[in-house]
Amino acid sequence: MTDTHCPYCALQCAQKLSGEGPTSLAAEPRDFPTNLGGMCQKGWTSAELLRVPDRITMPQRRSAAGGFEPVSWEEALDDIAARVRAIGDDHGTDAIAVFGGGGLTNEKAYQLGKFARLALRTKNIDYNGRFCMSSAAAASNRALGIDRGLPFPLSDLGDAQAVLLLGSNIADTMPPSVQHLGAVRERGGLIVVDPRHSATAQLTDNGGGEHVQLVPGTDLVFLLGLLHVVFAEGLHDLAYVEARTTGLEAVRRSVSEWWPERVASVTGVPETQLRRVAHLLANASPHRGGWGAFVLTGRGSEQHTDGTDTVTAAISLALVLGLVGGGIDGKGRGGYGAITGQGNGQGGREHGQKADQLPGYRMIADPEARAHVAEVWGVDPDILPPPGMPAMQLLKSLGTEGGPRALFVHGSNIVVSAPDAIDIARRIRSLDLVVVCDFVPSETAALADYILPVTQWAEEEGTMTGLEGRVLRRRQALAPPAGVRSELEIFAELAKRLDAPGRWPTEPREVFDELRRASSGGKADYAGISYERLDAGEALYWPCPSSTEDGGDHPGTPRLFTESFPTPDGKAKLIPVRWLGPDDSLRRDAPVWLVTGRVLQHYQSGAQTRRVDKLNNAQSRAYVEIHPVLAQRIGVEGLEDIEVTSSRGTMRAPARVSKDIRPDTVFVPFHFAGEGMVNALTNSATDPISGMPEFKVCAVTIKRSDS
Amino acid sequence: MRVVVVGAGMVGHRFTEELHRLDPYIDITLIGEEEYEPYNRILLTELLAGRVDLAGLTMSAHDEDVNVRLGSPALEIDRERKLVITAGDSVEYDHLVLATGARGRVIPVPGLRDGLPRGVHLLRSLNDARDIKAAALNARHAVVIGGGPLGLEAAAALRHRGVGVSVLSLETSLLDRDLDASVAEIVEAASADLGIEFLGGVGIDSVAVRDGHVSAVHLGGGRVIDAQLVVLAAGVVPETSLATAAGLETAQGIVVGHDLRTTLDRSISAIGDCAQTPTGTSGLVAPGWAQARELARSLVHGTLIEPVEITGSAMKLKAVGLDVVTMGRRASTADSHDRVVNLRDASARRHVEVVVRDDTLIGVTCVGAPEIAAHLSTQFDRPGMIPADPLQLLLGTSAGTVTEAVNPTTMPSSTTVCRCNGVSKGDLVREWEHGCTTVEALAEKTLATTGCGGCKSLVCGIVDWLTEVDPPGVDQESPRVGVTAG
Repeated sequence: MTDTHCPYCALQCAQKLSGEGPTSLAAEPRDFPTNLGGMCQKGWTSAELLRVPDRITMPQRRSAAGGFEPVSWEEALDDIAARVRAIGDDHGTDAIAVFGGGGLTNEKAYQLGKFARLALRTKNIDYNGRFCMSSAAAASNRALGIDRGLPFPLSDLGDAQAVLLLGSNIADTMPPSVQHLGAVRERGGLIVVDPRHSATAQLTDNGGGEHVQLVPGTDLVFLLGLLHVVFAEGLHDLAYVEARTTGLEAVRRSVSEWWPERVASVTGVPETQLRRVAHLLANASPHRGGWGAFVLTGRGSEQHTDGTDTVTAAISLALVLGLVGGGIDGKGRGGYGAITGQGNGQGGREHGQKADQLPGYRMIADPEARAHVAEVWGVDPDILPPPGMPAMQLLKSLGTEGGPRALFVHGSNIVVSAPDAIDIARRIRSLDLVVVCDFVPSETAALADYILPVTQWAEEEGTMTGLEGRVLRRRQALAPPAGVRSELEIFAELAKRLDAPGRWPTEPREVFDELRRASSGGKADYAGISYERLDAGEALYWPCPSSTEDGGDHPGTPRLFTESFPTPDGKAKLIPVRWLGPDDSLRRDAPVWLVTGRVLQHYQSGAQTRRVDKLNNAQSRAYVEIHPVLAQRIGVEGLEDIEVTSSRGTMRAPARVSKDIRPDTVFVPFHFAGEGMVNALTNSATDPISGMPEFKVCAVTIKRSDS
Repeated sequence: MRVVVVGAGMVGHRFTEELHRLDPYIDITLIGEEEYEPYNRILLTELLAGRVDLAGLTMSAHDEDVNVRLGSPALEIDRERKLVITAGDSVEYDHLVLATGARGRVIPVPGLRDGLPRGVHLLRSLNDARDIKAAALNARHAVVIGGGPLGLEAAAALRHRGVGVSVLSLETSLLDRDLDASVAEIVEAASADLGIEFLGGVGIDSVAVRDGHVSAVHLGGGRVIDAQLVVLAAGVVPETSLATAAGLETAQGIVVGHDLRTTLDRSISAIGDCAQTPTGTSGLVAPGWAQARELARSLVHGTLIEPVEITGSAMKLKAVGLDVVTMGRRASTADSHDRVVNLRDASARRHVEVVVRDDTLIGVTCVGAPEIAAHLSTQFDRPGMIPADPLQLLLGTSAGTVTEAVNPTTMPSSTTVCRCNGVSKGDLVREWEHGCTTVEALAEKTLATTGCGGCKSLVCGIVDWLTEVDPPGVDQESPRVGVTAG
């Protein structure tokens, strides 16, 4: 029996693994404050991942014939190191790029950042979290001074009178979390903003609250409209705003041009509903005697070229209602939070996988941060590279003149999950060296020169940081198959061959202890968190410094902002923003909006879940969700295939006719490769602040596919 | 480049913002007559209704490097020396943008001809709105002269404040520029429901003044309406005096080409209510903002200006208790081959009408139907998005928010009961037949209820139903409930 957490999403449902060996191991849920004893189909079937027939157990090298051939670890590592050296000599070490993932444990993410900087000597490391959390992170950092997805425990939602959920479909992506919305639905206070009447939006039916079915790409306008109504009707918490924020005047002025009728014509949200939502939230706010309200964002509102500004407006709304930190006295409930997607999407963005970051959420351009981390690593700060390129820029520069010539990929299947994916695949093929660490032959691994087989969740120790900023223990239940190594071992072996300075421990606990020192004093301070304390069952949320003033253990920080904000003046910043609209525009040859998202049975690019029979049988192909009115227009009645085309590419999948979607929009899940791969169409235009690509809206044309 | 903008209203403000955003190095001077920071004039009737306060009207401040001069009217343009002259100062320009707006029209009748008496107000500026708000406190009855959007919004706002209101118009119907007469009837009925009296097709003989304050309005037919407050909303006159004095061509407004440049001087442009383009003059903010954006782009990037369509601009009434939205064509302005589809529901004060040309929605009229109006306004002018049958445009498209209660007895066997684990009713029935005859046993076997727990009551309902029709422990030979049962 091993207590651990699910391998998939950021809810990190607590699970118990029982049985001996890979053939009999089974997962069942444990009671835990986040999943409350629940687990979805992905979690229940997670042990199947240990039994996938095409598990890789030997390093694979691309053969002259184009296929793969097994090679020994020694041979693989020697050759990789030699080729890295040669590319570095010819093109400079920045020609080696690294792409990480938000599913890696804290230990691996930390060590990957260090490996890039000290062993590969490259500035060019970034990760797929740039596709998930970067807009929420950028907005939180600039407005609140810190980025922790939920700056409060998830269970706080149960105390709320209203919850505004923008662009998040948690009923499909993390089903057990829906239990925390039960109470607010009883109070009629759940507001879901989504162009689809998604499973989550359906929770608002029958008096549960409001579903705001807006035009894709207009979330920001809806928020500016809410702010307009809040100010116009004097619903804001002036005492809180004056005591705890700066910038009121600029934000108030910026929303004067978004009167409800204008908002309606852009978003399609009727004035009556806009006002209802504003009142629901205001009445739930502590200053008006409410029990508290939360404003939460997900990828639907963040994956846009104005994602950072959208989240900024969401934060402003929470601030002017006096919600953040639980009201002016810090005793109420409420706030702003981003719902993290990937398993370790939180921890993965704190410890140095990001182009501009060092461990502990320190910035790599900050001389003090460099000095601190260099000391922990035992190196001269001057050898640390400057900030590199953010993910999309990095991927788009692969193989270009002066761009990277080699790529290491860890915990990511970019040729399915990145926008404009066919172009990315083409760029990867043009490289001199591609090394992919994975445990299954993903679509990205298929393009590699070397596939290095690595351990997976039940085969390893480590820590993950869940969506609430609570650090969780991942525990090993069984030995990995012979021939499989952990990424920590791979980093150590390559570092040795590349004569890298620094220490390269392979025990996760040792790496974590080093991470604690490296993060000490940073924003995401893990110094006081140890395997011992976690194994003893303590609930530790960062920041958790090494000790309290009297020398005792720091209890961690379940709730941030109850007294002040980690900004220079201790106040949160209200920042005015402006709506510019999606990068793509509707036109005669692309009159329909395309939105993408997830289904319950699959996770991310589907590289794992498509290999689990029970999940794949339930949903083995992509589909195109389409409103009956639009379906009728293109002559689709039932399950015919629809061809969807944007200026970047085409995909094809069966229709799923449903009144749950707006009649001017189609939806396609993004977990699938081949002809059902929707990321062949999505837009790689990025948010100028966060570097987040605009996955969530692009203009397409659709037709019945008779081929 | 030095650009001077005369007029700090909504269009001048927007132009300045756009130009500075596109090129922060352009030297911009914004000259405004009023001493107030630029404010949202559209919301003056909302201010009057008490639905927004003064602070909510103020628009974004300009960047510090924009030179803003408020409370200092431009007095003269010296086109020779390219100067704008204000009291005691002058500003040089390479390009001058006139955004002088329009002023309210005063009808030339006795009582108003020689200046407005107390109690009679235009509704153009912040000061006007404040004065009307103050006057409404002591007014029993008000007369609004003008039956357009501004007049109707003002009437609804005054009514909302508890003042009796009569709306007078020379035209025979309300909102006559935006609505066909048959639709206007519905708006008139809706207004009457609110207590707003509409008198159409009436001429005004005079305004009676007692002790310098308005006391009544005398109509053509001899009728007299006592009123302590009169709001003039009978149209606007483009503000062209500066342009005329500078020798620019003016007619109804300052005459400009599609490129928004004045006909006689290409270093001067005009935008907003003061400009008369080949497509006409506007009284609405949306075309003015579109012109501001186009002009800023053309000055910075040298792009060609897209002509901004003025006729058929969207009109969205902001009035407590009245919902009217119009866009583009309507029945009387549609071509003979356009499809005009409408739904009239007069006693519910509702009317929805669409005009479709080929595959594009080119006209929307919605009265008393804000949800449909909001939806249709997002579909307007989007080629290729018309349903096969345009009738569907008139009906709601979203999935209802009230779902039928699920009945465990009658739901089909294939219905998914537990979404989290993909368990259907048929799966549960099958396991029941294999001896899982409690909720707990079914949960253990099928995993239903073990995800979010949302299906628990449904599973309990199915267990209750099965207990009744297929009790556990009864003779195994008795007829079974098949998986297709129900």
